[in-house]
Amino acid sequence: MKKDINSNGYIFLYATILIVVVAALLTAAVLWFHPFQERNEKNEKRINILRAAGITDVNADNAARLFEEHCTASFLLDENGDATDDGTLPLFVIDRQISVIPMKGNGLWGPISGYLAIAADGNTIVGANFDHKSETPGLGGEITTEKFQNQFRGKPIREGGQMVPIEFDAITGATKTSNGVKEMIDNTLQMYAPFFEKLNP
Amino acid sequence: MSNFKKLVIEPLRKTNPVTVLVLGICSCLAVTAQLKPALVMGASVTVVTALSNLIISLLRKGIPNRIRIIVQLVVVATLVILIDQFLKAFAYDVSKQLSVYVGLIITNCIIMGRLEAFALSHGPWESFLDGLGNGLGYSLILVIVAFFRELFGSGTLLGYQVIPQSFYEAGYMNNGLMILPPMALIVVGIIIWIQRTRHPEMQENNQK
Repeated sequence: MKKDINSNGYIFLYATILIVVVAALLTAAVLWFHPFQERNEKNEKRINILRAAGITDVNADNAARLFEEHCTASFLLDENGDATDDGTLPLFVIDRQISVIPMKGNGLWGPISGYLAIAADGNTIVGANFDHKSETPGLGGEITTEKFQNQFRGKPIREGGQMVPIEFDAITGATKTSNGVKEMIDNTLQMYAPFFEKLNP
Repeated sequence: MSNFKKLVIEPLRKTNPVTVLVLGICSCLAVTAQLKPALVMGASVTVVTALSNLIISLLRKGIPNRIRIIVQLVVVATLVILIDQFLKAFAYDVSKQLSVYVGLIITNCIIMGRLEAFALSHGPWESFLDGLGNGLGYSLILVIVAFFRELFGSGTLLGYQVIPQSFYEAGYMNNGLMILPPMALIVVGIIIWIQRTRHPEMQENNQK
């Protein structure tokens, strides 16, 4: 071997070449995979919206088609509950009746999110689904189970024209996550309250 | 042929990375609640051990000794990121279930252990086989554990209902403990127990 492989110069050169090769490889791979990943994320969002609205036989293959069929409109609301171009609150209308709104909140270990479907009268929940990044499996992670999500069906959000706080059975041993879910729902509904007001004055 | 047998078959049994060397336990507990993620995790780890062993073995004469661990880490990390991105693109459901554990393959002791102990001192083909064998040995335990946990914890296998509805009507219930990580440890313990009973030479106090 003509060059000492433990000299500083060689180490620098070796490390530099290695990093450049690896960086080029990873960049190429990410660019190549990106369209597929984007499609998956879009599909997942569609699946969650449809499931919240009570369309349960949806999977990755038929998500795009079913969403096209059922989602009759989608728009952004401003804080007064009017649809505008520069609104900040997204809303999806399913089958011309059900309004599906996205929710974001905090669990115990990380963010939680979900979709809430509200009936045409703006008073009751049609369905809900939840997702989480890092809640404990078997405890906070239970919010993704059907058992937990099904109890939201038919729950009132407005009574006599007034918003009412949501009530549901929390998960034993996952108080923080359950509180997070409650806070997320209450906060989201508060923001959308003007819209439901207009839906059913 | 004997070489192939020694490098690929032995890690499935007498030098199994999980039950004999007790490495890679963390991910073994985390991904074995169901069979499908366990299979994907096993396949991913096998690909990473085999390819990283091969690459490091090809580079071994040129790697400066003082930065060899860093070079190994870079190679392993690159492979893991590629697999993570691949799963996100083509097996989205499974990648969501595996979540952080795909990224954590980087820290799986089996991989670094094989690189240090084997790939740095052996040729590419042998190293590849060694990585393959150890990856398969890890996968084998993962699949056995996941089989029992999914069967008794959820009554399903690969998502299909196996335990008939009539059992549930007769009062049978899924064992919730099976879903939780501690049960994976107990199942691994039982496998080690059976293995050591069948091979008394593996028991330390039996050795003269």
